Amino acid sequence: MKWWQNRKRNADLERELRSDLELEEEEQRENGVSPEEARYAALRAFGNATLIKEQTREAWGWTRMERLLQDFRYALRQLGRSPGFAAGAILTLALGIGASTSIFSVADAVLIRPLPYLHPEQLVRVWEQMPNGHRPNMAESNFEDFLTQNDTFANLAAYNYGVASVSGGTEPTRVHISAVSPGFFTTLGVQPLRGRPLAADEERPHGTPAIIVSYGYWQRYLGSREDLSKFHLDLEGGSYPVVGVMPPGFDFPSGAAAWIPRELDPPTPSRTGHNWSVVGRVRDGVTVAQARANLSAIALRIRHQYGTQVDLSNAVVVPLADAIIGDVRTALLTLLGAVGLLLLVACANVAGLLMARIGVRRNELAIRAALGAGRGRLVQQFLAESFVLTFAAGILGILIAAGGLRLLPAILPMSLPRREEIIINPTVLLFALSVIVAITVALGLFAASRAGRRDLRGALSSGPRSHPGSSASQHLRSLLVVAEIASTMVILVGAGLLGRSFMRLIATSPGFQEESLITIEFSPPIPQGQAGLDQTAIARQAHLLDDVVARLRTIPGVSSVGLAGAVPVAAGDNLPEGDFLILNGRRPPASMDEFGQMRRNNSETGHALYAVAGEDYFRTLGIPLIRGRIFSHHDALGAVNVALISQALARQRWPDQDPIGQTIDFGNMDFNLEPLTIVGIVGDVRARGLDGPPSSVIYVDYRQRGMNLNSTPTILMRATAPEGEIVSAARGIFRDIAPDIPVKFSTFAAEMGGWLAQRRFLLLLVGLFAAAALILAAVGLYGVIAFFVTRRTQEIGIRMAIGAQRRDVLRLVLGEGARLAVLGVVIGIAASFAITRLLSSLLFGISATDPLTFAGVAVLLSLIALAASYIPARRAMRVDPVTALRYE
Amino acid sequence: MDELTQQRTGVLQGTLDMLILRTLRYGPAHGHQIGKHIQRTTNDFLQMQHGSLYPALHRLEKRGWVSTKWDMAPDRNREFKYYRLTDRGKKQLVVEESQWKQMAEAVARVMWPAAEES
Repeated sequence: MKWWQNRKRNADLERELRSDLELEEEEQRENGVSPEEARYAALRAFGNATLIKEQTREAWGWTRMERLLQDFRYALRQLGRSPGFAAGAILTLALGIGASTSIFSVADAVLIRPLPYLHPEQLVRVWEQMPNGHRPNMAESNFEDFLTQNDTFANLAAYNYGVASVSGGTEPTRVHISAVSPGFFTTLGVQPLRGRPLAADEERPHGTPAIIVSYGYWQRYLGSREDLSKFHLDLEGGSYPVVGVMPPGFDFPSGAAAWIPRELDPPTPSRTGHNWSVVGRVRDGVTVAQARANLSAIALRIRHQYGTQVDLSNAVVVPLADAIIGDVRTALLTLLGAVGLLLLVACANVAGLLMARIGVRRNELAIRAALGAGRGRLVQQFLAESFVLTFAAGILGILIAAGGLRLLPAILPMSLPRREEIIINPTVLLFALSVIVAITVALGLFAASRAGRRDLRGALSSGPRSHPGSSASQHLRSLLVVAEIASTMVILVGAGLLGRSFMRLIATSPGFQEESLITIEFSPPIPQGQAGLDQTAIARQAHLLDDVVARLRTIPGVSSVGLAGAVPVAAGDNLPEGDFLILNGRRPPASMDEFGQMRRNNSETGHALYAVAGEDYFRTLGIPLIRGRIFSHHDALGAVNVALISQALARQRWPDQDPIGQTIDFGNMDFNLEPLTIVGIVGDVRARGLDGPPSSVIYVDYRQRGMNLNSTPTILMRATAPEGEIVSAARGIFRDIAPDIPVKFSTFAAEMGGWLAQRRFLLLLVGLFAAAALILAAVGLYGVIAFFVTRRTQEIGIRMAIGAQRRDVLRLVLGEGARLAVLGVVIGIAASFAITRLLSSLLFGISATDPLTFAGVAVLLSLIALAASYIPARRAMRVDPVTALRYE
Repeated sequence: MDELTQQRTGVLQGTLDMLILRTLRYGPAHGHQIGKHIQRTTNDFLQMQHGSLYPALHRLEKRGWVSTKWDMAPDRNREFKYYRLTDRGKKQLVVEESQWKQMAEAVARVMWPAAEES
């Protein structure tokens, strides 16, 4: 019979014993004894019925389970009797479990869970490797060689990624579009959810246009219609029938809303135009190392064959998962580390609470032991208690984590890969469960080992009024608090370093005034695709842009309006960069081929970002003119093409000469080989981001060169009136002039917010964990010091009776707190030295051992520790010597 | 098996099990009858402790050496829980009997060596 049948068993035993007892009674009566006498005789003969039942039950062998249940009931009663302790311990643990479960679910989605593709371990990203260590995208002709000559890949696919204006759905919009080479989807092993993949006819040069859209785009702009045949999307002047919809969750390259065959673009048979990202799937049974060796050999062959016509020296092959995660790994591991330390602090705190309770319960424990409870039984009881505590905390913690995950999207940086996949799934629950079990066992065994040490007779004879807790246990509690303070110190140092980096970063001037700047991303159609704009297209575009800018300038509260090919800093990655030619009186190249040949002479080339701008751009942003002149209306389409350069470029490329008057050619940026004459030097801008050095930039005039596909046309407005009013006025103007062109309003501050989001997210969470750990450590220290005061109340009374001042008592108690705090801080500093090095890549402008941060955190922690000791110290100072002495 | 049970019934345990099984060789019996039978047969030398008897009975049942059934007593108009020897119980009885015999002989050889010499 099983233990759950014990009710029936009990009834059966009851009946058996009763019937036998009655029989005994009957037999006694039959022997002539009076009924009453017979009854007592039978009972006497039988003995203690309860004991018999108990002993018989033990023979059934399910008492273990019953005892366990009994222990649980007892544990619940015990906790119910001290709700303050229970609530404190449960909340502390729930906080630790909840925080670590949330962070684990992020790490699980981003780092641990395999990519949602077929055999993701076979997928790799491939780059060219330059001799200087740079890792550029692939040039088209090199890609063709890698594709046709390798024998380790099932497929290699090239794709690019850019922003385009798409209309034809419910509303025009700017979305990310990827042009992909044949086999892109099969490489990833993903088929369209609806419709079909791209057909062979669409994947050849001059083939039939076709577009596949993402699930999100289909839902939002195509109304989730089943029938795709009606939809034709217009992008950049071409019309594309929608042939397929990708399944939800397919997000490669990240953020892409639509995919088109790359053959629609004219081929650019270049070996240095690094235009293509490459993803590959290695063949079954081939390792990534073998594939890498294979592509390296091909790269060497290309290098050999084309010499200086190529700039690659090797090929880089990285597993796709690693490539996607990139530098987020360090940030997430930092978070995991911080939350792990927080969990440890929480456990140490609860362990301290448990010890205090064992002190209070020593009499109860001693009585239980005296009544014959074995050591195993006591251990079991403590395990039951810690299980009840941790289980309640675990449930609460998982609820906290679930709530936290709802809040996460608000603070998660948009750039975090795979952020949509963050959920509480079985893996996450398993993690939470393992944490709960580990804590249960650790706390239960810890409590049992503490309780098991108790001297029985001493506990029973000394009575409840004696000092709770031996000096050994006080010592252990102190050690726990020291560990808490040390762990907190490590988290605080981490948070401090990240915080100081962040402050430095936002205090770094981008090179212009960033306040009250409204940005408008605005995309007039650029019909020529990747080829250059012809003169009429530039004129037409300039006319439209001038029209828009002129109208925007009339809005009250707008002091100036500038125009640029990208928002610097916040969207600095949108600025293209490349090599330009310094002509030095030479004839400008007549063709792109000749440009390529001239580019090989390193002494007559330079490297810079390419920015299209208008003359008001500099005024609007407040970028100063250092020398020479800004663009003017004389710089017309037919006139000499002019350029401005940044100070950084002047310093770097023309250190000893005057750059003004130099002619350069940057035709590889806009396929326009007309040379540029440098007419001015402007102030430096950290165009690629605040964490980078001032950039080398070449500015060209939009009226002369036009905005081509390399640009993300952006209007910048300096506002003196409230932003909302200006934006609504500007919207009206755009509706008037260009109703079909998608427009995105924002502010520079908001765009910077996006750029800073990842750092802010990390700082926010580590800061939160640090604050939580700080509170827990303070509470833990308070507990120990309060306990210290309680134990020494009598001693303090004696000291005061023989003349000690309150000041001395204060010093005694604070000294104890300071001793623990200093020990914890010193250990914490040593640990931080070892650990924060791992953070180096996340820091900006300070070292991982920044003395100011270490000192500041140590001071902060010490002050908090003193404050936590001061509360019990005040109580100690108020001890009345007479009462304290009489008390024992 | 629990440590406590063994301590409390340890002295008699093996023997009591054997005595019960042997008693049931005469046919099914309820607890009271078994206890009374052992007591009477040993001329009250073995005082049956109910605190040992019932745990022993339930232990034997758990091990499958006896089976139980509530049945009407022939002489009383009431039901009792009857224990019956199973086939496995019969085999166990043989094993325990021979073990006991060996044990008794061994003890006898130590206790009364002269008796054997003579």
